[in-house]
Amino acid sequence: MPRRPLVLPARVSITVVGSQPTAGTRAGLDRESKRWVEQLGAGHPRRDRAVAELHELLLRAAIHELSRRRDQLGSITGPEFEDLAQQAANDAVMSVLAKLDEFRGCSRFTTWAYKFAIFAVSGKVARHAWRRLPPSRRELAWEQVPDSLSARPGDRLEQREQLDALSAAIGELTDRQREVFVAIALNDVSIDVLALQLATNRNAIYKNLFDARRNLRARMAAAGHPVPERGAAR
Amino acid sequence: MIDRDHLDELLRVSDGDAGCTAGEDILDGYVDLELAGENPAVTYPGTAIHLQSCPGCRADHDGLLEAARRFSREPD
Repeated sequence: MPRRPLVLPARVSITVVGSQPTAGTRAGLDRESKRWVEQLGAGHPRRDRAVAELHELLLRAAIHELSRRRDQLGSITGPEFEDLAQQAANDAVMSVLAKLDEFRGCSRFTTWAYKFAIFAVSGKVARHAWRRLPPSRRELAWEQVPDSLSARPGDRLEQREQLDALSAAIGELTDRQREVFVAIALNDVSIDVLALQLATNRNAIYKNLFDARRNLRARMAAAGHPVPERGAAR
Repeated sequence: MIDRDHLDELLRVSDGDAGCTAGEDILDGYVDLELAGENPAVTYPGTAIHLQSCPGCRADHDGLLEAARRFSREPD
């Protein structure tokens, strides 16, 4: 099975107010995690077997995750589906082995390892979806008000004015902010598919989306139609 | 039709959003806290906020939570 490099999104930060722990320093490992780390280490007599077990585990996770995201895979089935799962598992194993020294024990080892399988599947599904059905020009452009924002006969005047204000505010965003907001927020284009379409990464797209939303809120408020925040951490 | 809740969802931004990067690094710890019955928002407030707004990271989180819940075991 050919191995392909795991492509994780590049990093950009958004708006960090306050702080939260990072992966941090290595904590005392639980017994199971300790065994994984020991047996996967270079020179351990059971390393080959541990690598095979890890691959088996990550393959199972990859298959499950691909099934969970099946709606983005179109008609992929059989050998093609299995090949995609194998590629994701291979990439994930390579990432785990390459980063073994970075495991800090902030989670169980298996949860940490599964993370790489999920990231690998996420990237492959997005690439497949993008190749199969890239976003249309209509999904990216602000050429017409989408149905979800159209005023309807029964709408109250206040709602119509609010929609008009939102529509005007969208028109005043930067080209990139408008493109990202229209595609993701209004047309349900996948953030990772859009990142591929625009030759960038998830983090950068999210930053555009974040800025677009903040600008729209500000413009709505300035137009006399503030949108109160309900946001609370879950 | 767009209502107030839909509009709030559409324009959701929250101060303290840690972004994708921070979440990717600690997502495993975040998920294990959830599986232990603890509230990960206490330890990772910025990521808890971020997961409400970022569909890509939320999908990764949901997948990891499910995988960790279903498949974890130790080597023979």
